Amino acid sequence: MPHQCTNCGRTFADGSKEMLSGCPDCGGNKFQFAPTAAAVADSSAEAEGSGSLDADGTAGESTAPESDSVATRAAETVRDLVSGDSSDQSAADVPAEPPLEESAGATQSDAPWPSSEDAPETDSTTSDGEFEEWPETARRPEDRSASSDEAAADAPRETGPTDRTDSEWPPQSSASSGPTTTIADDENSAQANARSEVIPTDDLPSGSGTATRDTSDHGTEAGTDRGTAAGSEHGHEADSAVETPAGADGSSGDLDADQSPDHGRVVSEPSGQRPSLEELRAELNEQFESIKIVSPGQYELNLMELYNRDEYIISLQEDGRYVIDVPDSWRAGDDEDE
Amino acid sequence: MGLFTELKDSISRATDRLFSEQEPKRIGIYGPPNAGKTTLANRIARDWTGDAIGAESHVPHETRRARRKENVEIERDGKTVTIDIVDTPGVTTKVDYEEFTDEMDEEDAIRRSREATEGVAEAMHWLREDVDGVIYVLDSAEDPITQVNTMLIGIIESRDLPVLIFANKIDLEESSVKRIEDAFPQHKTVPLSAKEGDNMDEVYDSIAEYFG
Repeated sequence: MPHQCTNCGRTFADGSKEMLSGCPDCGGNKFQFAPTAAAVADSSAEAEGSGSLDADGTAGESTAPESDSVATRAAETVRDLVSGDSSDQSAADVPAEPPLEESAGATQSDAPWPSSEDAPETDSTTSDGEFEEWPETARRPEDRSASSDEAAADAPRETGPTDRTDSEWPPQSSASSGPTTTIADDENSAQANARSEVIPTDDLPSGSGTATRDTSDHGTEAGTDRGTAAGSEHGHEADSAVETPAGADGSSGDLDADQSPDHGRVVSEPSGQRPSLEELRAELNEQFESIKIVSPGQYELNLMELYNRDEYIISLQEDGRYVIDVPDSWRAGDDEDE
Repeated sequence: MGLFTELKDSISRATDRLFSEQEPKRIGIYGPPNAGKTTLANRIARDWTGDAIGAESHVPHETRRARRKENVEIERDGKTVTIDIVDTPGVTTKVDYEEFTDEMDEEDAIRRSREATEGVAEAMHWLREDVDGVIYVLDSAEDPITQVNTMLIGIIESRDLPVLIFANKIDLEESSVKRIEDAFPQHKTVPLSAKEGDNMDEVYDSIAEYFG
């Protein structure tokens, strides 16, 4: 039950699409990702506030457990964006297995960096390439990495969204993340630039390439929620976000949440993503239509729906109305037979 | 009471259809638009009844309502196989009147488009309710691996209906029967040209074998 509605508590299986159109029970559109069913509940609230992400530096180490995978992800991203991100490395160091306490905040943050598999290698590579110091740390993570990877693998994809949102918008507010920030600055500036203009859509692709897509959906939701809740302070907190992946996972939630309510708000970014969420919904809705009238004379047909429905459309009207044949199986049989 | 009687009648009719060899099987001719379904249906009908089933056209969606030709008796090896042929509208996931505006004015194109859409709905309905076997007609000059083909073949398979794949238009230069055989290796593919009447003997042999 990796996903849970923060309103009514309904849980959704990993990969569930139900929640994409809001919670079917209560209509809520805020969800939290809970790697472990139990731990999550409390944290959920925090998770949303997860703005805490910023905790970065401190949190990063404490959070370590999942951070490995996160780190790897971050490393990759960083690689692409800039040369060295401390956050990744820091995250790598942290490797210790994740305490559930943080789980809510952490998990979400982790999510963005779902690909645990890549992480180990990436970490090492990055570390080798630019930072010698990191290699050592990297090694630790590697050991732990296995465990962390697994954890990451489970949770990350769906959780990702939250993280992304956080991570994506971290540009300026790096303050919280001491170590990371310094290194990360390059990225931050780069990301800040990129994001500052059009935060929502662009961020996802650049931020965490792999994770993004899977998570994006969830992320959007989460984002929207937060966005609505908290204004849009994205930029400032954004910086932390970048690093956050590592830091955020861990303690950040606890510490930072208090410090920077903004962080939580950073989520607002999702609002930018809203359009995509709506598109998603529209897409889902379409799947339940057997015939979509794009415009007069232009139709899209859902063959499976047409096949599965008992009734079928026998006449389309210009005005969008249509006539359906209501199945009366017995009579239908008679008619056709005779 | 009336309901029970109807029920009973329906059930007995259904079982009759299942177990009576004399009851003609209803064979649906399915496929994407412009594969040559109506041309094939007409050839079969003309060969064995002397009548045609419907108008043929190079413009897609000429057939917009399912048409049935009943009691088509096909003789093979001294035996007679009786089938009902149902020629169905071409199945597609998109219908756009702009495809037809070269051939007719916009108003007619829009009407054609609307009717074609209704026809697809009807064809899918028939596939579920009223068909005992399927002849799936493909234009062998076209790539057979499409969403529509894959989905329809999948549906047909899920219903355990006997199905023959007809690789039509082998008279065209670009025709490739192998491409179709490779795409659906689990089904028998029969090459033919319904328009030219090529390889019709094998067509009828196969029909008798699969649907007799």
